[in-house]
Amino acid sequence: MNYNFNWSVLWTGQSGEWLWSGLLTTLELSALAWLLAAGLGILSGALRTVPFRPLRALATGYVEFFRNVPLLVWMFFWYFGVPPFLPQGAQDWLFDHGLEFWAAVCALGVYSGARFSEVLRSGIQSIPRTQFEASVASGLTTVQAYRYVILPVALRLIIPPATSESLNLLKNSSVALTISVAELTFQTRQIETYTAKAIEALTAGTVIYLVLCVSLASVMTWVERRTAIPGLITAGGRRRR
Amino acid sequence: MRRMIALTLVPAVLAAGAAPALAETTLEKIARTETLTIGTRTGSPPFAYVNSKNEWVGFSIELVEQLVLPAISQKVGKQVKLEKKESTPPTRIPLLSSNAVDLIAGTMTDTRSRRDSVDFSITFFVTGAQFLVKKGSPIKGIKNIDGKRIAAQQGSTNARIIREKAPKAQLREFPDQPAAFQALLQGQVDAYTNDGIQLAGLKLKAPNPAQWEVVGDFYSYEPYGMAMRKNDADFRNTVNGGLMDGIESGRFFEIYDKWFGPKGELPYPMSPGVRQFMTYQVVPK
Repeated sequence: MNYNFNWSVLWTGQSGEWLWSGLLTTLELSALAWLLAAGLGILSGALRTVPFRPLRALATGYVEFFRNVPLLVWMFFWYFGVPPFLPQGAQDWLFDHGLEFWAAVCALGVYSGARFSEVLRSGIQSIPRTQFEASVASGLTTVQAYRYVILPVALRLIIPPATSESLNLLKNSSVALTISVAELTFQTRQIETYTAKAIEALTAGTVIYLVLCVSLASVMTWVERRTAIPGLITAGGRRRR
Repeated sequence: MRRMIALTLVPAVLAAGAAPALAETTLEKIARTETLTIGTRTGSPPFAYVNSKNEWVGFSIELVEQLVLPAISQKVGKQVKLEKKESTPPTRIPLLSSNAVDLIAGTMTDTRSRRDSVDFSITFFVTGAQFLVKKGSPIKGIKNIDGKRIAAQQGSTNARIIREKAPKAQLREFPDQPAAFQALLQGQVDAYTNDGIQLAGLKLKAPNPAQWEVVGDFYSYEPYGMAMRKNDADFRNTVNGGLMDGIESGRFFEIYDKWFGPKGELPYPMSPGVRQFMTYQVVPK
């Protein structure tokens, strides 16, 4: 291959600074989007299993609409599609105060929320129906049964698939560069612009994503082990006893 | 989505690097496949774009078809056909390095730092960066963009210069021209900066061209060249030979006039200085 590698571009000049600021933006964006996604996911995932048809239909509508349109389209939707409906003053304020970042948070959060919702629904449905019936029979209302019995168990059960979804969310955050959010992938391109060393820059980006995802995954394995309920399927990848 | 493609290139390229290097020159590759693969643009009128008849055309593409391709065909002694692939600023150098394309013929500025990674042909177009704004905008050039929202293309030399010369401007970088222009149309940004000629092309294709104007003195010098893999002198000489023959015979200027002449796609007459520069690039036979 006819290519001269020059890895020093990654630690000379401003590259380190750019990668660091890109990493911070990626983490901020992912964390905020994750909170939004978790909130929406838990709410709609639970609603999809309640014994009340209109609420189930509402949640199903949300999930099917948002997870079946590409994320890239959602990015453009929140960035280009939403502002024209706002009053002029609000538009100007948003344009001056980082609209792209918040559009990306909304796009990523609402999209991932629909995916989280399915994960949670499968967790809830794996719990025997009798648990819900027993809770209601013991005098809890439906909301209380979900709050104190169903969700605490379901949320523990879904840690492995929810971790996968969270890692997807983190990696999907790179789509935000299409609406000019200066996250990690954006900054690796920046290095390419200044040094014309694309392969080195992209490798740096790849390694950072990998390290980030592997560390998150191991933290989640630890959480899974800590919160495992004896007798249920979660074992944190390791059998105890 | 493109960044995904770019990222997947990394393992592929690393694997290619680890494999025993096939010592095949670009000309040998072209002779074997009977194909010249170029990386070009789909949204940069009039250099390379998809026109209203859905044809992939443009000045850069025609230079390759009319001048470079015949020279290569003659050199390898076979009729070589042309294949076009989309390449964007962040992907074009990796595409070259991984042998996916042999020549970048779009709107790539020849710079010294890029010459560390790729080789360039002689210059085939000269322009400089300006601003596209809504008519009547207070922005008149790089001097008064402090605090303003300025769109630029990711991976372009312009974004870099704005960051250095006007650090107070709020720079927004988009991966492609259509997204940046959409942001300008809707007011997300106050101006879009790119090479003057590209802005003129964009204005011409806008729904309402009279509403927009290209302002400011050139704040950068952007000589366009065709990029190719480094250290492949025979291929580069062949490409340059084709371009030089075209300049010498006047065919180059005819093609220029077809796109940029008074009746061209985008009127942008060549100044006497640039014309002289073009002819001075031609070395004797």
